[in-house]
Amino acid sequence: MKIYDHIQNLSARVGAIQVIAFVLLALLGARLYYLQIVNGEYYSDRAENQRIRLIPIPAPRGAIFDRKGRILVDSRPIYNVVISNDGLKHAAGADKVVDYSSGLRLEPQFVTERLSVLKKQNEFESLVLKENATIEDIAWVEAHSLEFPELRVELQPQRHYPLGTTLAHVLGYVGEISPKQLESEVYKEKGFRPGDIIGKGGLEQYYDEYLRGRPGYKKVIVDSRGRVQSELETVPPQSGQDLVTTIDLDLQMTAEDQLAKSVTKRGVVVAMDPNNGEILAMASAPSFDPNIFVKGASTPEGRKQIAEYWKDETRPLLNRAIQGRYPPGSTWKIPESVGALQEGAITVAHSNMLCGGGITIGNKLTRCMGNHGSPPLDTAITRSCDGYYYRLGLKMGIEGIIKMVETFGFDKRSGIDLPNEKVPQTPKTWMKYVVKHEGKWSDIRTVYASIGQDTVVVTPISMLRAVSSVGMRGKEYIPHFLKEFKPIAAVGEEGDPNYIPAREGFTFQHPEPNIIELQPAQWDLVLKGMWGVVNAGGTAGSIRIPGFDIAGKTGTAQVAEVGKDTGKNKDHSWFVSFAPAYKPEMSVIALIENSGFGAANAAPAVKAMYESYLSRRDGQQPATQEVAAR
Amino acid sequence: MVALTERGLRDFDWQTAVLAILISFFGVWQIHNAVPSENYWSKQIFGIVVAFIAFVVVAFTDYRRLIDAAPIFYAFGLLLLFLVLTPLGVEINGQKAWVRLPLVGQFQPSEFVKIPTVLMLAKYFGARKSAVLTLREALIGGAIFAGPLALIMLEPDAGQAITYFPILAAMFFLSGIKIRYVIIGTVLAAVMVPTAYIVGVKTGKIKRYQQERILAIIDPDKVDPRGYGYHTIQSVITVGKGGISGIKGDPETSQSVLKFLPEPQTDFIFAVTAENTGFIGCVSLLLAYALLLSRMIASARQASDRAGMLVIMSVVCGLAFQIFMNVGMALGFLPVIGVPLPLMSAGLSAILSTFIAIGFVVSVRMRRFVN
Repeated sequence: MKIYDHIQNLSARVGAIQVIAFVLLALLGARLYYLQIVNGEYYSDRAENQRIRLIPIPAPRGAIFDRKGRILVDSRPIYNVVISNDGLKHAAGADKVVDYSSGLRLEPQFVTERLSVLKKQNEFESLVLKENATIEDIAWVEAHSLEFPELRVELQPQRHYPLGTTLAHVLGYVGEISPKQLESEVYKEKGFRPGDIIGKGGLEQYYDEYLRGRPGYKKVIVDSRGRVQSELETVPPQSGQDLVTTIDLDLQMTAEDQLAKSVTKRGVVVAMDPNNGEILAMASAPSFDPNIFVKGASTPEGRKQIAEYWKDETRPLLNRAIQGRYPPGSTWKIPESVGALQEGAITVAHSNMLCGGGITIGNKLTRCMGNHGSPPLDTAITRSCDGYYYRLGLKMGIEGIIKMVETFGFDKRSGIDLPNEKVPQTPKTWMKYVVKHEGKWSDIRTVYASIGQDTVVVTPISMLRAVSSVGMRGKEYIPHFLKEFKPIAAVGEEGDPNYIPAREGFTFQHPEPNIIELQPAQWDLVLKGMWGVVNAGGTAGSIRIPGFDIAGKTGTAQVAEVGKDTGKNKDHSWFVSFAPAYKPEMSVIALIENSGFGAANAAPAVKAMYESYLSRRDGQQPATQEVAAR
Repeated sequence: MVALTERGLRDFDWQTAVLAILISFFGVWQIHNAVPSENYWSKQIFGIVVAFIAFVVVAFTDYRRLIDAAPIFYAFGLLLLFLVLTPLGVEINGQKAWVRLPLVGQFQPSEFVKIPTVLMLAKYFGARKSAVLTLREALIGGAIFAGPLALIMLEPDAGQAITYFPILAAMFFLSGIKIRYVIIGTVLAAVMVPTAYIVGVKTGKIKRYQQERILAIIDPDKVDPRGYGYHTIQSVITVGKGGISGIKGDPETSQSVLKFLPEPQTDFIFAVTAENTGFIGCVSLLLAYALLLSRMIASARQASDRAGMLVIMSVVCGLAFQIFMNVGMALGFLPVIGVPLPLMSAGLSAILSTFIAIGFVVSVRMRRFVN
């Protein structure tokens, strides 16, 4: 080191460099310790999270069958082009819109919409960009897999409604959950995500929870651009539970057929088993094709058609059986008769009331259709004597009528297992309003209310339910479609993290029927009147079926004042019934909108239903309710 | 030149050679781990073979004769750097740092020109006789240094340019610069760097992407995680994921194979090492570097002349600085600049120039008794 002698501290300077170098290396070592030993687990998880993706495998929804195992709704596989949101959140979307819309032949506006939905999703989720992809679409996606690694083709189940417009209102349809629904707490709690398919309307909505399956997933490894490198595991989805309904497809077809043949082609036919509330048929016309909602929501033509459904003045999307409210006209006389007997306004021995050809309130005469003298209750029903009921109503008083409304449950929903059922409106609904605006409830309103006009509008289902309970001598059941949900097996082994437990089958849980108290003799009197309507020269004598006694009541509900009741303001035609009269097996209601007299229009439709029922009841073995294997 | 005689082989610095070879083959393994599907690793083996031959040739050549010829190498070096700026230069990733010459092929002059720069500076500072560094000497040294630096900044390649500074710092420090100037210089740097950054941002002289590289180390998740922060985040994830002894099992799911880690075989080779060999592998590598540097410093202490000592110490400073910059970047506390990890990163220019530099160190050591 002699050569350095003249610079005293050179050796120290070399040493200093050595120390600095070691300190720097030690610093790196300390940082390594912090990253690898202290936080190794954390970074390992982060690395795993960014390379592992769960690609959902949609679960097929449960199928829907009629009571004899015939398919009403099922699912079929289709190819969808699916877009995953990996990396797209940061990428400029505008150029992609052009690429996707030209490549997949989609409307640019639609693509923009989809991308905005995609942006609301959590990271690494995906959304259907094009449904029902064609061979060309699939080829395009495959050919551009490097350019657009976010696109992939998937085989997914799509809901299919083989019956088209038949039973559409009851079945409903499915569709993507709406942004509005996503924001509501009810859906949030259940963990719904954008793009999920849910039931919309009908049984699809009401029993969505059971019909919907639990999606499975594929666990895959992706690279930094989201391209799938390999598959780790596949957890199969669990299908939804199959639903067996109480619908009898044959009766349903008859009901649809009757409406199609009707004068205005607008109306309702509902058939029910009065012994338990099972709905055998429910048709509402005009109808719609649920397939359009399922397949058309993503195409311009489909969207146009859906918009037309909404705009249509005849309201094809309305389930008239539970959402249509009509003045019941003379069908109202049946529950009213029961109410009058119950409240003691009349007795079996003294049930006569004056017809008088009508009644004069103040200086206004309200007419009856004829002059029936002073008939007993059964004759009043059979002949549909308005004058009788004007006076009976006045005798009961509006309070009496309201009590009857409560007895039959006209102030509530029927409880049918369909969403969005409307509640009838009755004097109970209007009392407060009328008193506030008119000072008091006038007699003329009571007179109108006693023949099912003015302040009374009911849903066909509520009227069918009430009249059926008369046939059952006071047992009023909740109408329903659910016969049985089939069980579904568990997926995976118990204890496995991916285990999905089995779902048990179940049937409709019948609550105790609403009991309407009346003496047997009183029931006999009402039933005699209803029997007479068809079988003893009553208003619907034309639909008599020998050997199968129908008990019923016609109704002709005024839509407009007398004199203006033509064309589209023609009266609604009602017929409500059960048969056989003294041991009912089936009850049927028909309503034909704006068609005129009940006997002329609604009653023949009801007769057709009984004939259809009889043709299979006689000479058929007891119905097996086996569900056909899917 | 010491011939490859028995004495020559006995004096040859086997320890340094073996350490360098071990590290570089450890590097080949990591390059393979980084991109198993490409042949970078086999190219690297070829590079190591060529580099080792160059290393032996330099080691057995008398460094004093090479230092005597330093001005010629220096001039040639400047010419190469100039060629980069001519149409012979090749642009890769927006940087014109490469040059393609007939027969030789494509290489990165800035990697090699460090050596003539070191030699030129060593020639000048080794010959001087004063006890304390004078201003005049500092200016002349600075001028020698400025030539290649200016040309590299014109490419522009800030990362490479930064690696030149330790050479000058070593020269000044070991030529008796007064300690107070060292302290003043350090303090000034500590103040000026952030000030310059802030002024640069305000005046727009520092471009957005450069800014983001700085911000990325302060809070990588806050900077656009798909932009510049991305490199830092992914590198830190990769390192941390390695844990104690590295990933076991499926190499198919490594950060580099799935392309989460950018430039895995070059700039981020240390992250690959960390992922595959864990804390144990990384610390072993750092210890190997420490051993190599210590051996070189020991050689410097035994050097028979000032110029030899200066050559070794500037190589030591250059290597130590590069290791620190590169690993610091991989560990997410230094900005992302393209500095290769000596002996590890894939790249023929880098491996060749590093082995030549170490060749000089060995050459000096072999002649410690020759006077």
